[in-house]
Amino acid sequence: MLSRSLVLRLCAAAPLAFALAACSSNASTASSSAAQAPAGNAVKIGIDLPLSGADSSVGRSTLNGMLLAIEQANAKGLPGGVTLQPDQLDDAVQGVHSPQQGVANARTFISDDGVLVMLGPYNSNVAAAQIPVTNAAGLAQISASTVSDGLTLGDDAKNLRRANPTTNTFFRVSTTDSRQGAAAARFARQLGKKTVYIIDDNETYGLDLANVFEKDFTQLGGTVIGHDHIDKGTQDFKALLTKIAATKPDLIFYGGTTSTGAGLIRQQMFDEGLGNTAFMGGDGIPDIATVAGPRADGTYYTVAAPNADKLLSARQFVRDYEARFHEPIGPYSANAYAATQVAIAAIAAATKENGGKVPTRAQVLAQIAKTNALSTPIGPVGFDAGGDVLEPVVSLYTIKNGQPVFISQQSVSK
Amino acid sequence: MHEFLAQLVNGISLGGIYALIAIGYTMVYGIAELINFAHGDVYTLGTFVALAIFGALGISGELHGIALVVDSGLALIGAAVCCGLIGMAMERLAYRRLRNAPRLAPLITAIGVSFILQNLMQLWKGSAPIPFPAVLPNPRFDLGPVSITAQQIAVVALAVAAMFALQIVVTRTRTGAAMRAVAQDRQAASLMGVDVDRTIAITFLIAGLLAGVGGFVSGVYYQSTWFLNGFSAGLKAFTAAVLGGIGNIAGAMLGGFLIGIIESFATWLIGGQWSNVTVFAILILVLVLKPSGLLGERVPEKV
Repeated sequence: MLSRSLVLRLCAAAPLAFALAACSSNASTASSSAAQAPAGNAVKIGIDLPLSGADSSVGRSTLNGMLLAIEQANAKGLPGGVTLQPDQLDDAVQGVHSPQQGVANARTFISDDGVLVMLGPYNSNVAAAQIPVTNAAGLAQISASTVSDGLTLGDDAKNLRRANPTTNTFFRVSTTDSRQGAAAARFARQLGKKTVYIIDDNETYGLDLANVFEKDFTQLGGTVIGHDHIDKGTQDFKALLTKIAATKPDLIFYGGTTSTGAGLIRQQMFDEGLGNTAFMGGDGIPDIATVAGPRADGTYYTVAAPNADKLLSARQFVRDYEARFHEPIGPYSANAYAATQVAIAAIAAATKENGGKVPTRAQVLAQIAKTNALSTPIGPVGFDAGGDVLEPVVSLYTIKNGQPVFISQQSVSK
Repeated sequence: MHEFLAQLVNGISLGGIYALIAIGYTMVYGIAELINFAHGDVYTLGTFVALAIFGALGISGELHGIALVVDSGLALIGAAVCCGLIGMAMERLAYRRLRNAPRLAPLITAIGVSFILQNLMQLWKGSAPIPFPAVLPNPRFDLGPVSITAQQIAVVALAVAAMFALQIVVTRTRTGAAMRAVAQDRQAASLMGVDVDRTIAITFLIAGLLAGVGGFVSGVYYQSTWFLNGFSAGLKAFTAAVLGGIGNIAGAMLGGFLIGIIESFATWLIGGQWSNVTVFAILILVLVLKPSGLLGERVPEKV
């Protein structure tokens, strides 16, 4: 009896709750547009990055690149008196980037009418979860660092865009795993490495990178001795490294990030007699010294961007960045700055097109897709139909005394 | 053969750390009938405290001779004592008043305490991984077909020594007798004049001490930690306690070493991504075939 009356009461209450929720959501949109009107032409730029936890050192320096571009644009002024307002959300949960949190953040941006464009995420698996959501909502998204092929290429990308197949909303100024993995394989062969043992972290980014590296390294005449996958959160790699030490490879290649295992693997290599074996990874490990300490020295890594010191526009950016944040730039700061420049240029062009009024998301998206030869610290940026940059460059670095040292760079075509 | 032995050594070293944590789970369960999910975080706290002590002593590299013994001894004892006191405080503040509440209440409280500890550690040292100084020189000793590092010897020696000390406390002292009595029948023990509150507090103290030793050992062995380190290690250690028969100290040790060895062999023979799968598959098998765990029946007392 009691339970039935409870159920009845709940049933009666449900429509009421819906009505209340509808009211409150109406009220909040009304109040937000009301708040916007007097503020003039404020445009929000949503930023989704891992800002806490293991990825925070790269996440923060990426955020700084974005903030710098926004501050400079506001200081210079935009058409129609538009002012840009960064709105950053953290996608790390319990210290690790989380696709679920990334989607929650994307939904927050989508439901805020003031947000015209979204920057981020940092990680490929977060992007893979977000793209269907932003695609359905028609919110343009520009990532500075994601590299997994499937985000922009082939059937995987089509599947991510299934809500709105004719419109691409995802762009990135970083390059793909296949380009980076291919470049890494060429670098490895140029360094004279003949045999490799590959480890990856079984995540979208790491697995793709490792697979492409494996394919290309073999094609270039190298030998892949083995390929192992690891679980995220593993602390003890001694068993794996004992196994690898027995095969005596010239190189250990790691597909993944510092937080998923690169740091601990590099550190434990020394305990298993692999201290003099070369260790290489992609752009997930430039911060490896934060875990491996002095043992990070000698690690090679690729970054899907030209060496910032080599470009004139980059030198100005580096000076501005260091003056503003009092620290050296991070591996993706320049990319982040470039991605934000793309967003800002699109907002400016769309505002002009709209007669000086704040444009719509669709207008901004159309302008982003048209981006061509925009001058940035990472060279001229333009996008192909899939949202990838037209002429990407991959650079190879090594770590000496805890500092990154540039070795060489190569231009890669699709 | 050579690789088999090398992997066995890896597994035993890893298992030593699991065993140290597993004993805490099993003792607390045996005496207070509580699965203390915050125990893994007490272990992480041990690494943090040891790190802080090394930091305060200004140590960032290898230690030798007297300094090695004195400084690492200070860090070890500091970590153990601090974790023991935290364990007691946890019991006094969170668990004692729930002792007669329904079983679910202390369990949820334990998860809450775990979150509190994790977040305090995150506030303290940040959420990024933290390097731990390589204090222990690490020469390799070649023993015929297998080579062992000094760190591995230290891990296993400390783990085994701590377990022996514990076994003596439980079987030879009045406190140990009180612990066994409370484990068997709390009410009867209290009627016989055993101070149940004090006994349970001491159990938490000892569990914390061992977790602190484990935390110190893990810092020295892996030279890295972070605030969530105890989550997966705690889960594996809990598995070890269940595998060995929860409530049974010898079982927890056995379970810890077994899980370390299984993990190493699975990585070696099947592949790194299968190590956790293998560990938990074996756990399920054991529980299906022998629900009380490996040593669950042979020893009647639960301590």
